[in-house]
Amino acid sequence: MDKYTLLALAILIPSLSAFLCYVFNKPWVRNVIVFVTALLMFAVAGGFVYQLLQSGGKIEINLEDLHLPFDIEFIFKLLDFVLLAIIADIGMKRKKPLIVVLAIIQGVLLLLFELFGSVKEPHVAFVVDYLSLIMLLLVSVIGPLITIFATGYMKEHEHHQHLEKSRQPRFFAILFVFLSAMNGLVLTNNLSWMLLFWEVTTLCSFLLISHDGNEQAVKNGLRALWINMLGGVAFVLAIIFIYNALGTLSVEEIIRSKMTPVGLFPVGLGLLCFAGFTKSAQFPFQSWLLGAMVAPTPVSALLHSSTMVKAGVYLIVRIAPVYSGTTLGMIVALAGAFTFVMASAIAISQSNGKRVLAYSTIANLGLIVCCAGIGSYVALGAAILLMIFHAISKALLFLCVGTIELEIGSRDIEDMQGLFKKMPFTTVIAVIGMISMLLPPFGVLLTKWLALEAAVKFPLVLICIIIGSALTLVFWSQWIGIILTVSYHAKYKMEKLPLAMWITMAILVVAIIVTGVDISMIFKAAVAPFLLESMKGVPETILNGINGLWLVGDSGKVVGGFSSIYFFMILFLLFLLYPYLYRKSKAELLKPPYLCGANTEEDTKGLEFNAPADTVDQVIVHNYYFAGAFGEANLTPWANFIAGAIIMIMFGVVI
Amino acid sequence: MDIVILKDILTVVATIILAPLIGGLLTGIDRKITARMQSRSGPPIFQPFYDLFKLLGKERLIVNQTQMMFVIGHLFFAVAALAMFMLGQDLLMILFIMAFSSIMLIMGAMSVRSPYSKIGAQREIVQIMAYEPVLILMVVGVFLSTGSFMIRPLFSDMFGFGKPLLYDLPLVFIAFIYVLTIKLRKSPFDFSMSHHAHQELIKGITTEFSGPQLAVIELTHWYELVLFLGLITMFFAQPVWVGILIALVCYFFEIVIDNISARMTWKWMLQATWIVGIGVAMTNIIWLYLK
Repeated sequence: MDKYTLLALAILIPSLSAFLCYVFNKPWVRNVIVFVTALLMFAVAGGFVYQLLQSGGKIEINLEDLHLPFDIEFIFKLLDFVLLAIIADIGMKRKKPLIVVLAIIQGVLLLLFELFGSVKEPHVAFVVDYLSLIMLLLVSVIGPLITIFATGYMKEHEHHQHLEKSRQPRFFAILFVFLSAMNGLVLTNNLSWMLLFWEVTTLCSFLLISHDGNEQAVKNGLRALWINMLGGVAFVLAIIFIYNALGTLSVEEIIRSKMTPVGLFPVGLGLLCFAGFTKSAQFPFQSWLLGAMVAPTPVSALLHSSTMVKAGVYLIVRIAPVYSGTTLGMIVALAGAFTFVMASAIAISQSNGKRVLAYSTIANLGLIVCCAGIGSYVALGAAILLMIFHAISKALLFLCVGTIELEIGSRDIEDMQGLFKKMPFTTVIAVIGMISMLLPPFGVLLTKWLALEAAVKFPLVLICIIIGSALTLVFWSQWIGIILTVSYHAKYKMEKLPLAMWITMAILVVAIIVTGVDISMIFKAAVAPFLLESMKGVPETILNGINGLWLVGDSGKVVGGFSSIYFFMILFLLFLLYPYLYRKSKAELLKPPYLCGANTEEDTKGLEFNAPADTVDQVIVHNYYFAGAFGEANLTPWANFIAGAIIMIMFGVVI
Repeated sequence: MDIVILKDILTVVATIILAPLIGGLLTGIDRKITARMQSRSGPPIFQPFYDLFKLLGKERLIVNQTQMMFVIGHLFFAVAALAMFMLGQDLLMILFIMAFSSIMLIMGAMSVRSPYSKIGAQREIVQIMAYEPVLILMVVGVFLSTGSFMIRPLFSDMFGFGKPLLYDLPLVFIAFIYVLTIKLRKSPFDFSMSHHAHQELIKGITTEFSGPQLAVIELTHWYELVLFLGLITMFFAQPVWVGILIALVCYFFEIVIDNISARMTWKWMLQATWIVGIGVAMTNIIWLYLK
C-alpha cells in the first residue's frame, strides 16, 4: 500500500466509522464496527511503521503529486469556517457570549489572513517522522482500545442512567471523529491545517464532556470549550505572525529556521506554546481538564492519555528544537516545572480517585513541557519517552477507576478499602498501573530520572521537579495501600466483567510491561533517530545499553545510567513468590489485627472492637490528605496567579 | 558497560553476606551505647543477631497472606540499592530503588486492617516526603561537584568520586546528616515506628508484623544502615579509612541525638526538614552554580 492510501485511511477510516456508528443503531452492529475499525487502525499504524522504516526516517507526502480533481486547500479552509460557525452556534444556544466572541475573533483573523495574505501553502502537506509516528501509534492503538472498552462500559453506564433512547450512536461517532482529527493533527506539516484538526478536537472534547447532558456536564464542557478556544485564538495569531516573519506555514521549515529574531517570529512561537498550554491544561488552564471528569470514563481515558492533552505537548515538543537554549525555552521549562509541582501538591489533598488521576495527568504534562523547554538532547528524549509511557499507564488507570466505579458505585479512594477482595483482577491491574507511574524500573520513573539529570543545570526548574516527585510518591503509595488492604479472613470473589472491558485492560497492562522492559529498544528505534535528526551537533548523548539507558557526558564518559532489566527480574520473582507464600500460610496461623486486646469474638474483618458500655464499635482509619497545607481551595488561586505571571514573563521576553 | 562480570558478581555476593554482619554489629553497639547513656548495662553486643534468629524461629503468625510478599520486596530492593552502590551505579537511581523498598514496607503495613499499622504507614509516607527532596538535592550537589552521577565501585582504584566532596558540599553534608536521623528512625523523628511511643502507636508501621516477617524487616534495616554509612564514607572517600572513621563518628552523633531529644510531631518534622534541610542544601548548591 502506498503512502497516499495509508494517509487517506488514517484520517478517513475513523471518520467513516463515525458516520456508520451514527447511522446504525443496533448495538451488535456498532460493536462490529468498533472492532473492525480498531483492527484497521492498528493495521494502518503498522503500515506507517513499515513505510517509515523503508523510507529511512521520513515520509513526505505532497498532495500536489496526486492531481486531485478538487481543491483540497479550499475544502480545509471552508471546514475551518464551518467549524467556527458550529462553535459560535453552541455559544449562542448555551448563552455563552465569551465563546461566540472567541469564535468570531478567530474567524475574522482567519478571514483577514486569507484575504490580505495571499498565502502560499507548503508543498509538502504531510510529513511523517519518528515523532509523528510515535504519536500516531499512541492515537491509533490506545484510542481504538479505549473505544473497544467503551462498548462494554457504555452499556453499563446507560443502564445506570435509565435513558429512553440510547445516545451511544452519537457518543461513538464523536469518539471516532476525535481519533480521526488526532491522526490528522500529528501527521500534517501545514500549520493552518493543524489548526483545523486542533479545533476539531476542541469541539469534540466539548461534545464528549457534555455528553451526559446534565447541568454539571454542560457547564464543564463549556469551560473546556472556551479555554481551548482561547488557545485557538493564540494559534491563529501565531500562524499570522509566523507567516509574516518567515513566509511559510510548513512546520518543517519553521523548525529548520531556528530562533531567528525576524519580526514577530518569537512572539509567534510564544503564542504556539500558549496554545499548547491551554490544550495540555497547564496551570492556570487546568480547570477544564478537572471538569472533564464528569464525562463517562472512556472519555476521560481518551482525553488524558493519547489524545487531546497530548496534542498540546506534541506541538510544544515539535517546535522545541527552535527555541531550545533560548530564554523562551527556559520560561517554558519553568512553567512546566511549576505545573508539575503544584499539580502534584494538590493531588495529595484529593480523595476522589478520578481527580487524583487528573492532577497526576496535569503534573506529568507539566513535566513533558518542562523537558521540552529545557530542550537538550536528554531532556527532549525524556519528554518523548514520558509521552509514550504516560499515555499507556494513564489510559489503563482511568479504565480501572471506571470499572471500579461501576462495581462499587464510588470513585472515592476511601471507599476502595479492601478492593482486592471484591475485584482481584482489576485491583492487580490497577496496582501495576500505579506502580508503573511512580516506581522504577518502569518507564515513567525512568523519564523522571532523565528529566532530573537533564535539569541539573537549572536550579529553579530542578527544585520544582525534586519536590514534585517527592509529592507524587505520597498520593500513589496511599492509594496503592488502600486498595491492597485485605481483611484477615478475606473471601476472594472474582469480578465478572464484560469481555470488551477486561481484555482492553489486559492488553494495556501487557503493553506497560513490554514497553517498560524494552525501553532501550524503543529509545533506539524511535526516539534517538528523531533526536539525531532534529538536534544536530549536540554533544551529550544517551547510550542505550543492552538492558537499560546510559547517559554519556561531554567528555565521552558515562555519567549516569540504569539497567532496568534486573529490577524487572526482581519484581517478577516477587510476583512468583506470592502463590507460594499464599499456599504456605496456614489458616490456623491467621490472627486478627491488634486492637488493644478488645477484638470482638466473631469479627472476621478485624474491624470491630468492644467499646465502653458493652457496645461494639468499628475501627475507621483514613489516609492523611493534608487539606490544610495542600488543599485545592488554598493552593489553586496562588498557583494560578504565579502561573499567569510566568506566562506574562514568557510574552514579555519574546516581544 | 552493563554486562555483569565475575568481579561484579563477587562484589554483590560479598555485599549480601557482609553487610548484615556489619549492620547487626553496629546496631548492637548502638544499643550498648544507648544503654550506657541511660545508665543501664545494656544487652550484649551480639544481641541483635540473637534477636534475629529468635524471630526467625518463631511461629509464622500472619494477619493476611500478602504481608510476607511486601516484606520480602522491602528486603530485595534494599539489598539491590546497596549492591548498586557497591557496584558504582547511578546515585539518583539508587535513591529511587531505596524509595521502592520503603514503599514496599508501607504497602505491607497498609495491607492489614489495623489502625496502628495504618497510622504508622501514613507517618512513614510523610517521612519519605520530607527526606526525599533533600537526598535528591544531595545527589545534585554531587553531580555539580564531580560532573557525574556514577559513583566509583568499591574495589576500583578510588572508591567514591576520587576526591573528598566535603570541601565542595559542607552544607549538603549537614542536610544529609539531618535527614539521616529520619531515615535511621532516631528521635526526634521516630514517629512511624518508635520504641518509645507505645501508648499512642503501639509499634506503628511494624505493629502487625511478627516472627520471621519482623526478622526480615530488621535485616533490611541493617542493609540500609550500611548503605547510609557508605554514603557518608563517599563524602570523604580519600583515603577510605578516614571516610569510614567519619561515618562511625556520624553514627555516634546520631545515637547521641537520639538520646538527648524528645519525639516531635510529624507536622513539625515536615516543616523543619523542608525549610531547614532543603534550604541548607539549596544554599550550598546555589554557590556551586555560581562558582
